[in-house]
Amino acid sequence: MRTGWLALALALAIPLLGGCTLERKDPRKGITLEVAVFEGGYGIGWHQDVARRYEKRHPNIRVNLWGDPRVDEKLKPRILRRNPPDLASCNLPVWKLIVAGKLYPLDEALDSPAYGQKATWRETLVPGVLASYQYQGKSYAMPTNLGAWVCWYDKRQFRQYGWKVPRTWGEFTRLCDQIKADGVAPIAFQGKYPSYAWSTLLSLYQRLVPFEKWYEMQDLKPGAFLEPEFIRAAQLLQEMGQKYLQPGAMAMTHTESQLEWVNGRAALIFCGLWLKNEMKNAIPDGFEMACFPVPMIEGGRGDPNAIYGGGGENMLVMADSKHPEEALDFLKYMMSLECSRTYIQRLDTLSPVQNAVKGLLISPELQSAVDVINKSTRMYSDRLSVLYLEFAKSPMPDGLAALLNGKVTPEEFAQGLEAAIEAVRQNPDIYKPPAMGVPPA
Amino acid sequence: MKRKEQKTFIAAFLLPPLLLYALFVLWPAVNAFRYSLTRWDGLGSATWVGLYNFRNILARSSEFMPALEHNVFLMVVPGIITLSLALFFAYVIHQRIRGARLFRIAFFFPNIISSVAVALLWVLIYSASDVGLLNNLLRLINPKHEMIAFAESSRLLWALVPMIVWSGTGFYMVLFLAAMENIPDSFYEAARLDGAGSFALFRKVTLPLMWDVLTTGIIFLVIGGLKIFDVIWVMENGRPTTTTHTMATLMYSKVFEEYNIGYGTAIAVLLFILVLLATMVSFRLLRRERLEY
Repeated sequence: MRTGWLALALALAIPLLGGCTLERKDPRKGITLEVAVFEGGYGIGWHQDVARRYEKRHPNIRVNLWGDPRVDEKLKPRILRRNPPDLASCNLPVWKLIVAGKLYPLDEALDSPAYGQKATWRETLVPGVLASYQYQGKSYAMPTNLGAWVCWYDKRQFRQYGWKVPRTWGEFTRLCDQIKADGVAPIAFQGKYPSYAWSTLLSLYQRLVPFEKWYEMQDLKPGAFLEPEFIRAAQLLQEMGQKYLQPGAMAMTHTESQLEWVNGRAALIFCGLWLKNEMKNAIPDGFEMACFPVPMIEGGRGDPNAIYGGGGENMLVMADSKHPEEALDFLKYMMSLECSRTYIQRLDTLSPVQNAVKGLLISPELQSAVDVINKSTRMYSDRLSVLYLEFAKSPMPDGLAALLNGKVTPEEFAQGLEAAIEAVRQNPDIYKPPAMGVPPA
Repeated sequence: MKRKEQKTFIAAFLLPPLLLYALFVLWPAVNAFRYSLTRWDGLGSATWVGLYNFRNILARSSEFMPALEHNVFLMVVPGIITLSLALFFAYVIHQRIRGARLFRIAFFFPNIISSVAVALLWVLIYSASDVGLLNNLLRLINPKHEMIAFAESSRLLWALVPMIVWSGTGFYMVLFLAAMENIPDSFYEAARLDGAGSFALFRKVTLPLMWDVLTTGIIFLVIGGLKIFDVIWVMENGRPTTTTHTMATLMYSKVFEEYNIGYGTAIAVLLFILVLLATMVSFRLLRRERLEY
């Protein structure tokens, strides 16, 4: 009787074992890549299209791509349980993930041939876009978007009042005086998020100093915030805040202030390229959105044509991914010239893939941004705000709000930032990468 | 049902909720104490650091002390106004004035709105854009009025005072009114015969006989002031600054924005201790001989 039971158990178990073996060897079974995407202003439609096209090219791979505006909360426990999706775009602190060893380096794939091009994948990207997240010589984040910090205006309103696009800071302030005299608020500002002024401030500082000095601040050089040029940049920003911001701007959210701008109650707004996507449902007919770079400051020693910007919407391959190589290959396909062109056309934004925008029929507002970028000599971006959350989440926005409100002098503002960054310097818990100097243009 | 069976029956009903409570409330709370003694970013592994986080929190340059001051401000300033108004309205309504029922409903009404909705409502009242009710009213009075940023961070704490008073007074008024209505009329009649006026009646009869309820109200306000989070979070669009942080918003920012989970949970532990201490101190200070009637 006992032998009978044993035989039955074996009879049932053996096919199962066989099945396990077969499953591993059967190439038709294929693998499933899990891709999690932050579902923000750009949605996930483009990502899904890319996934379907990739599946057609690779019949043995299925891409399970999902999106969620709160993707971070879903990812965190899975990263901790070491069971994350293979690939993800999220707003988690990338540097903390890198240092905790949670991300997979992209370099092997970056040095392999790009999809549909002779060059390597790395060579197809706009130079410098990988610089923000390089750790111990390896790259850990792939930006899918290219952004720039510019000043937006409505061409139609400018024509109506006879205003001229400024090229220097002096022209800019004179324009603001003229706008004010014409009864319009010169500048809308996202005052509830004072960090919006950080990019403008760093742009002003760049106009005043050569890049060697600008990057010293990024490399945590003691006293960098106390440099006279930085104080001068803070002074200009404060003057802008005190004289030209729309009354009440400091209590406005990004959408409120941007609405004020699209409704013509304020003439100018500093913002990134995402502005149109964010406001697409509110832009009135006849509105001619265009942009110009942060104007050059008279007597400044900085590059007048450099532009603050770089990669964004980063995709990350997880270190605990079950299929890191396939995830990398899918990411490489996502960043191919072919997919990047559909990205630009579908989402009305830019891609960090070189020449992706060439020959495409794009919207006039995006063309305006492309013109600004094409005229620029190089792009540069801040890493203090992504590396040192202890600095970026509190002392920096608080200091900017106080500066714009006139509650502190530019000197006090600079001293406050220097003290905050000194606390970062002294904190052994915070990872500080080695100085990077001026990255190649 | 036998006594033993009865106990088993009760235990069977109590066990599931107790288990759930232990799993989802007690266990995380106990864990919070453990995390407060670690350095952990919630992504990698945690390191034991003893009282390091508490030392940092209590350091002079820490953001914790200003946050605590904001809590005290939001506990004391709107608290005093709310209690005074609630007592006043309850007393007036208790005098059975005309339309008392209507006033009771009108004053209690804001209390049925969730605090997040209240905050959103006041965002619109204070807004510096075209939808701002207060700015538009001021513009009606003075057409040259320039928009004022009432809800700007540096003014927000004061801007919160009318909002908290508006949304809180009704609840305390109903609480006090119920206590006042429990006081037998004979006490008032006796006091009147002794020549007591309205104020003396309130001070010598009403107040002492509703002292227990008043104490409860004060403790609610103390706890509410120390725990305040949602209205600030909403009015600051999730980005409070050092001029508006309270202990709870600071804790949340440290944990979920800066990924400093050890530091954030240490704030939570301090918040727990402070609420406990404040409640105990309030009870002790306000304790009086209980009057039975």
